[in-house]
Amino acid sequence: MLRCVIIGYGFLGKRLAKLLAAGAVEGVKLVGVASSKGYIYEESGLTLVDLPDELQSSRALKPSPAIELIDRGLTDLLVELTPTNIRDGEPGLSHIKLALEHGIDVVTANKGPIALAYDELMELAEETGSMLLHEATVGGGIPLISLKNRCLAADELLSIKGILNGTTNYILSRMHFEEMTLELALREAQMLGIAERDPTLDLEGIDTALKLVILANSLMNAGKKLSDVKIKGITGITSEAIAAAKESGMTIKLIGTADENGLRVAPKLVRLNDPICVHGTLNAVSFNFKILRRLTIIGEGAGESTISALLNDIYEVVKARARSSRT
Amino acid sequence: MRVKFTLALSDRPGVLLKALEQIAINGGNIISIIHRRDSITSGYVPVSINVEFPDSASLERAKKGIESSGIPVIEAETLEKAICTIILIGGVKIEDLLGRVHEMESRIAEISMTGGLTSPCIKAVIEAPSDKLSALLKSLEDFAEKQGALLITEG
Repeated sequence: MLRCVIIGYGFLGKRLAKLLAAGAVEGVKLVGVASSKGYIYEESGLTLVDLPDELQSSRALKPSPAIELIDRGLTDLLVELTPTNIRDGEPGLSHIKLALEHGIDVVTANKGPIALAYDELMELAEETGSMLLHEATVGGGIPLISLKNRCLAADELLSIKGILNGTTNYILSRMHFEEMTLELALREAQMLGIAERDPTLDLEGIDTALKLVILANSLMNAGKKLSDVKIKGITGITSEAIAAAKESGMTIKLIGTADENGLRVAPKLVRLNDPICVHGTLNAVSFNFKILRRLTIIGEGAGESTISALLNDIYEVVKARARSSRT
Repeated sequence: MRVKFTLALSDRPGVLLKALEQIAINGGNIISIIHRRDSITSGYVPVSINVEFPDSASLERAKKGIESSGIPVIEAETLEKAICTIILIGGVKIEDLLGRVHEMESRIAEISMTGGLTSPCIKAVIEAPSDKLSALLKSLEDFAEKQGALLITEG
């Protein structure tokens, strides 16, 4: 039975903890959950009643840093879900590094460490024989990384083009269909919890750029950094521009592109009948493979659907460890 | 890509064959030849040759080969046109935009402007030689940046 610890007890952490405590993945025992306030740990496995809405309300809370769970050898599998920090990737980066150094497998939805230190972390994982899976960092529950690495590993991926940010796609869709201004569509998105109070990372295209770097590095061995991406956001998009696009059977979408000319994020004119032209909070990614040619995949790119990617990565770790224990 | 060559051939036997050889060895497929002996000027005959090339590199090699055989290439016009729509958000002078487009042997097939002075937005449909489209879009990108405007292209 793999002993699993979740660090980060926010939207995703709470939901995943409940599913694992209820036995969602056979072969995994949730033994600890941690937040910035401390952690709770139970060697025999946490149950649903042990999991409070807020960790600080648990009498079992130990007000110590989460790294104790890794350092003291209390886990075989770390699920790292602390908030994304694009400046230095912390604290997620340190958690992941420490776990990999100890030979502990890691599953994460944290974009910061993967976008900023992909090569370093993968080398470390290889050195220590541990696994680092990060499907949940891009496209929520859409299986982008496993699709390429498992189903299309022998084909060559030539380019990636996609709508990778649900918030900006929601705003642009409302501007297109309801003829709203960007400001009004943003306010609506904030009221619905689709946009953050500070929406800068989404609107300026930085969130899309982070995801593009992760995809390019993990699927095309591009070796790129965030600073390599040419980024234009959607703050300058006006109602007039959307109306002009609509007249021509098109709309404006925030598109991330990775190809032989590099990585870029920019608002683009997209034909309404293009498979990539999805609306609302949906994401869509078009891969161009050498042999298969174009493949487009669409799905919810954030929120609850991300749990599906996390569970699948956890399942992959369990499967791999079961296989290695047999050999 | 389809190209129309206009060559000035000296009125001597075998000269046309030399030009055709250069086209053939560089992968060109000849579609038609118009040999205008009625328009002979100072001993030169204008000849128009429509050719299908696999790519722009083979066209360039054929052009160099013809010129190094001593045959002047008056024009090599790409016959295939690419059409693309662009939107410019922000104040730009339309005559400057037209100038940039014409520099690349392209033309604006349709143009409309909305938003007045407060929120100007130009939509244009541009027709460009296929091999010049990406250079044109790059030039328009620089133009928009210098003018403080936002260029949105198809993609």
